[in-house]
Amino acid sequence: MKKPINIPIVALFVTLFAWSFGVTSGATAQSQLQNLPSPAPSNSSLSRVVANESGEIYLSWVSQDAGQATLAYSRLSSEGWNTPKVISQGSDWFVNWADFPVLSVDSSGMVAHWLQTSAQGTYDYDIRARFYSRNSQAWTNPKTVHTDGISAEHGFVSMLPLDDGTTLITWLDGRETKRGDTPGAMTLRAGVFDKAGTVVKEWELDHRVCDCCQTSSAMTEKGPIVVYRDRTAQEVRDIFTTHLIDGVWTSPKPIHNDNWQIAGCPVNGPSVAAKNNRVAVAWFSAKDDTPKVQLVMSNDNGLSFSEPLVVETPNTNGRVGTAILDSGSIVVSWIDTTNAARIMLSRYDTNGKFLGHTEVARSSESRRSGFPIIEAVGNSVFITWTDISSVPQVKVARIDY
Amino acid sequence: MTKLKPKKSAVSHRLLVLIFASMTIFLQPLSAADKNSWRIVNYWSEWCAPCRVEIPMFNELSPRLAKSNVIIVGVNFDEDPRDLTLKIADDMGIEFQTLSQQELDLLGLKPPDVLPTTYLLSPANEVMAKLIGMQSEQDIIDALTRQGLTLLNQ
Repeated sequence: MKKPINIPIVALFVTLFAWSFGVTSGATAQSQLQNLPSPAPSNSSLSRVVANESGEIYLSWVSQDAGQATLAYSRLSSEGWNTPKVISQGSDWFVNWADFPVLSVDSSGMVAHWLQTSAQGTYDYDIRARFYSRNSQAWTNPKTVHTDGISAEHGFVSMLPLDDGTTLITWLDGRETKRGDTPGAMTLRAGVFDKAGTVVKEWELDHRVCDCCQTSSAMTEKGPIVVYRDRTAQEVRDIFTTHLIDGVWTSPKPIHNDNWQIAGCPVNGPSVAAKNNRVAVAWFSAKDDTPKVQLVMSNDNGLSFSEPLVVETPNTNGRVGTAILDSGSIVVSWIDTTNAARIMLSRYDTNGKFLGHTEVARSSESRRSGFPIIEAVGNSVFITWTDISSVPQVKVARIDY
Repeated sequence: MTKLKPKKSAVSHRLLVLIFASMTIFLQPLSAADKNSWRIVNYWSEWCAPCRVEIPMFNELSPRLAKSNVIIVGVNFDEDPRDLTLKIADDMGIEFQTLSQQELDLLGLKPPDVLPTTYLLSPANEVMAKLIGMQSEQDIIDALTRQGLTLLNQ
């Protein structure tokens, strides 16, 4: 007698088959995930993936061995990852899971930074950077990005290549926290640097910001946009934005009034992406101890934003990334903490309609798993993260939509 | 074969007991006195400015609360290796116990979304309060009082 088909078992088999190929489907769209071989060695972490204007992908990471940290990178070519190249090494670095090196690339060169402890203060560190010019084919000697000369906390850097070959660098600057008897707050500063590492312009963008959240920047048709976590005198720590338009920074304003009031550090900064006049910002908040990842969109270069879409609540610890595809779709990366932690991508169309989730990898709520970083090239997203299931190692994958 | 079955079973039982006992010893770092104590678990990080601000308060409070069977312990949010964690704790002037990862695992706490975060645990390890952000001494005393704890020698 012919046995009836066991529907649940067949469904399970199909699901496992799809999962084995890394294929997940959303409500209306599919994605295909391809795990790429990692050029990073064992004991590597703190990775970032970044693309230049031509869509060439670069991966940077920090490896640690015998008390020495090494910042290295590799470029993805048609033959695979190029031989990794070392940018800098040191035994006096501040190596931190949330505040870690940035690599910026464009056709004229590269910029990379790391954090180096200051001699004078236990918790103080400087932003050190090297600048690479394709013309000279050489890196500069290490330079200190900030010019205050004050031993204080400096970090949470974001970088943005500008059209003239200079680079906009944004960072949190603790110089005011060391001012005499009445120390001030953490500030947000930015500067434009040429390929020699010389500061061309420098600004203070906000006089009082959250101490320990990442900054993020992107290029719109109107100019650079910077997003960060603000800090009011009443300890409201919502996400703010400011723009550089015609050489002048706009007054910082909130992208949404979460009214998250905490006398503490969320360690969970926002992420901005821009393409032409479109801007998307994803961020984490946890007002009333309810974790939430939200997304806003803009069609006017970030001058105004839509009402927030809730990407996930409450089963998330944030650690967000944002990317905009050529199709106009917006992709948000975040950590799902429903059971074991998972790295997720959620995609939305230009109108904010949800298109589907993609599970990238199992992860961990542990701080050692760090922050996944995403970058869009065409209609693909590259993502990097740290796998801590055994010896920590940087992983990288490509998701085609 | 039949004679071997009970013997094998006895060995298996002994092995299980041995494994269980080993695990119990390994995973039981808290003293017997701790089992009757309330615990204040403070998550900190070396780079967290408000954490550094409130640590002297916990240092001062720790011996006072011990008289009332309330133990203050700390957790390095960054999950650094144990030797590094203890060095950082020393550098930060932390005078109360810093939990190891195994000790923390026993408590079953969810890592907080904000630093500093301080949990108040009952002797049965139930989370009775979650205090988010920097706390004052009065905040801690109030949290304990809300649980009906009478503090000695305040």
